[in-house]
Amino acid sequence: MSFRGFLPFLCLSLIAACAARPFYPLPSKIANHNRQPLQTSRPYNIAHRGSNGEIPEATAAAYMRAIAEGADFIETDILSSKDGVLICFHDFTLDETTDVADHKEFANRKRTYDVQGVNTTGFFPIDFTLEELKKLRVNQRYKFRDQQYNGMFPIITFEEFISIALDAPRVVGIYPEIKNPVLINQHVKWPNGKRFEDKFVETLKKYEYKGSYMSKDWLEKPLFIQSFAPTSLVYISNLTDSPKIFLIDDVTIPTQDTNQSYWEITSDKYLDFIKEYVVGIGPWKDTLVPVKDNYLQPPTDLVARAHARDLQVHPYTYRDENSFLHFDFHQDPYKEYDYWLNTIGVDGLFTDFTGSLHRFQEWTSPVSQNDSKSKSNASRLLDKIGLLISTYRNG
Amino acid sequence: MSFRGFVPLLCLSLVAACAARPFYPLPSKIVNQNRQPLQTSRPYNIAHRGSNGEIPEETAAAYMRAIEEGADFIETDILSSKDGVLICFHDVTLDETTDVADHKVFANRKRTYEVQGVNTTGLFIVDFTLEELKKLRVKQRYKFRDQQYNGKFQIITFEEFISIALDAPRVVGIYPEIKNPVLINQHVKWPNGKRFEDKFVETLKKYGYKGSYMSKDWLEKPVFIQSFAPTSLVYISNLTDSPRIFLIDDVTIPTQDTNQSYWEITSDKYLDFIKEYVVGIGPWKDTVVPVKDNYLQVPTDLVARAHAWDLQVHPYTYRDENSFLHFDFHQDPYQEYDYWLNKIGVDGLFTDFTGSLHNFQEWTSPLPK
Repeated sequence: MSFRGFLPFLCLSLIAACAARPFYPLPSKIANHNRQPLQTSRPYNIAHRGSNGEIPEATAAAYMRAIAEGADFIETDILSSKDGVLICFHDFTLDETTDVADHKEFANRKRTYDVQGVNTTGFFPIDFTLEELKKLRVNQRYKFRDQQYNGMFPIITFEEFISIALDAPRVVGIYPEIKNPVLINQHVKWPNGKRFEDKFVETLKKYEYKGSYMSKDWLEKPLFIQSFAPTSLVYISNLTDSPKIFLIDDVTIPTQDTNQSYWEITSDKYLDFIKEYVVGIGPWKDTLVPVKDNYLQPPTDLVARAHARDLQVHPYTYRDENSFLHFDFHQDPYKEYDYWLNTIGVDGLFTDFTGSLHRFQEWTSPVSQNDSKSKSNASRLLDKIGLLISTYRNG
Repeated sequence: MSFRGFVPLLCLSLVAACAARPFYPLPSKIVNQNRQPLQTSRPYNIAHRGSNGEIPEETAAAYMRAIEEGADFIETDILSSKDGVLICFHDVTLDETTDVADHKVFANRKRTYEVQGVNTTGLFIVDFTLEELKKLRVKQRYKFRDQQYNGKFQIITFEEFISIALDAPRVVGIYPEIKNPVLINQHVKWPNGKRFEDKFVETLKKYGYKGSYMSKDWLEKPVFIQSFAPTSLVYISNLTDSPRIFLIDDVTIPTQDTNQSYWEITSDKYLDFIKEYVVGIGPWKDTVVPVKDNYLQVPTDLVARAHAWDLQVHPYTYRDENSFLHFDFHQDPYQEYDYWLNKIGVDGLFTDFTGSLHNFQEWTSPLPK
């Protein structure tokens, strides 16, 4: 074959090779080329397990609903299947929130393991392959919530969760948790000596999540990595510069990896240490403001001490039902949002009711059209001048 | 005594006579001489039994809290004591919401009466004089609400209720109900052949409540008189021109005085009749929009038909707790307010949570400055 004859063949091969990777935007994405960015001018609305007040937790539908309702971040707990696939699921057992009990073929999978010092019996996701987990269907955890979607939705993977965020019509952040890493690493092994935390970060990098808090990269793909295990957070800080949040459990629960008490990990000394690795803390709200007989006590100084170290505070979890509301809020979930955002002054809220928090924020602190801080300052000044003139005019 | 000597004595007597009625405003009222008027540009926030989501129902504290939280109207149920004093209380028995069970001295007052066709046993309010009722203390009806005020507050009278409204720093309307008039008139007799309805209107007139809806008089002292009993409403229309509201119970409950069914009293023919006597209706919300398995069904046309006759619609009752919220509202009471005010478009809401409704209205439909 002469060179001239070979050239078209070469070109054809090039085209064939390139055909696998289109250089054109998807038709569905063209209209949204300049997607509405993440809002950063008021505390974050973090959809805790998606809009699980309405739809069973951590399902695709719950996350899509949360995005439709205005969430800034969609939140999830990452565990692993038996064959090492990272999945979105909160409990260490499948019993409470899936129909596993209806699957007779899995009846013999019941086990008892030590989970953070407590002997726990049930069906563990780490004993099921992804294919088996996908046979199950998720149920609404709370009996008093809408039951109509029970048995409709499967468990999703970490990658499916990420896809939902990336496909949203505006920029939506993700907030995944490295959950029960001690237990996962005990039961699940990956090739090449990789650990749970390695696979976790690998997945994020595959979808190009990178950049420190508020960097250009981060604003395009916002992300917080959360965990109750400080060693996991320290470990991954060598793998990624994505911002991390240190979760803090109730006052009686020590850390699962270092066995440190609440008092130690919230001390000034510890906050000084951990602030090198995380951008904030995620405490249980009843430790920030203690409660007695369902009435609030005087707040602790944890928020002040965290803020003094430039650490954000994202407490959990906010729920609309009056059984979760302390009497100071008079059965009104919006009063609780008001207290935490305006009286205590935290930086984000994990809520089961994305829509309620979004409405509260939209009604009482709407985001200005231009997110640029200097512009909104100027327009606020103009508003003030306008008001002054109008009162003078009305005499 | 000469005439000149008599004049000072006469003047002194005059002064003494007038001293009983001061011509000066109370020092506490001078600042508020131009009180903020009743808002009439958005649906009414009606504090159902006061702010009873927070404080035991129909107590002075519950009403004062409601006024503080922004209520347009404070609402109450009027019954009568044994000695004919009109009091604010919802149930005809004292068992559910007072500590009467702790008063051994009243243990022998238990009776069984027929109440709207149902044999009911308990300690009946019509068997207690006012002095005895004032010995009791009110408690929070629902176990899941704040219990901290149990045993602190008394039952109040109709007149005490009116005083609370009149003493408010802004114009607050009252919304009293002629409650269980059939039962009251059976058990309580007033002198001169007066009926419960007569004493009710007498009390309102004593405090200067008069004038038709939106008249100058009415705007100074706003009032709606409500009742489930159409004959009572028709009767008092001859005694006062204050606006009246016809309450409508669930679809299975007939009227207590005329034994008419829900279907009859919501028919076009009946609305055409009753509109001559009332300015609006107060239906149970689940009859306006039916419910199945805790999900809303398609709304009925009752609101449209009422509005066509120029009748206002004030449904009852709105409560924040998720056990009262249909699933369409996703456990969010503000979603329920939004639906009823903006989708269904009613003219007022009876709510146990004055503060929540006020917040919703202030955030989404603030009053013009």
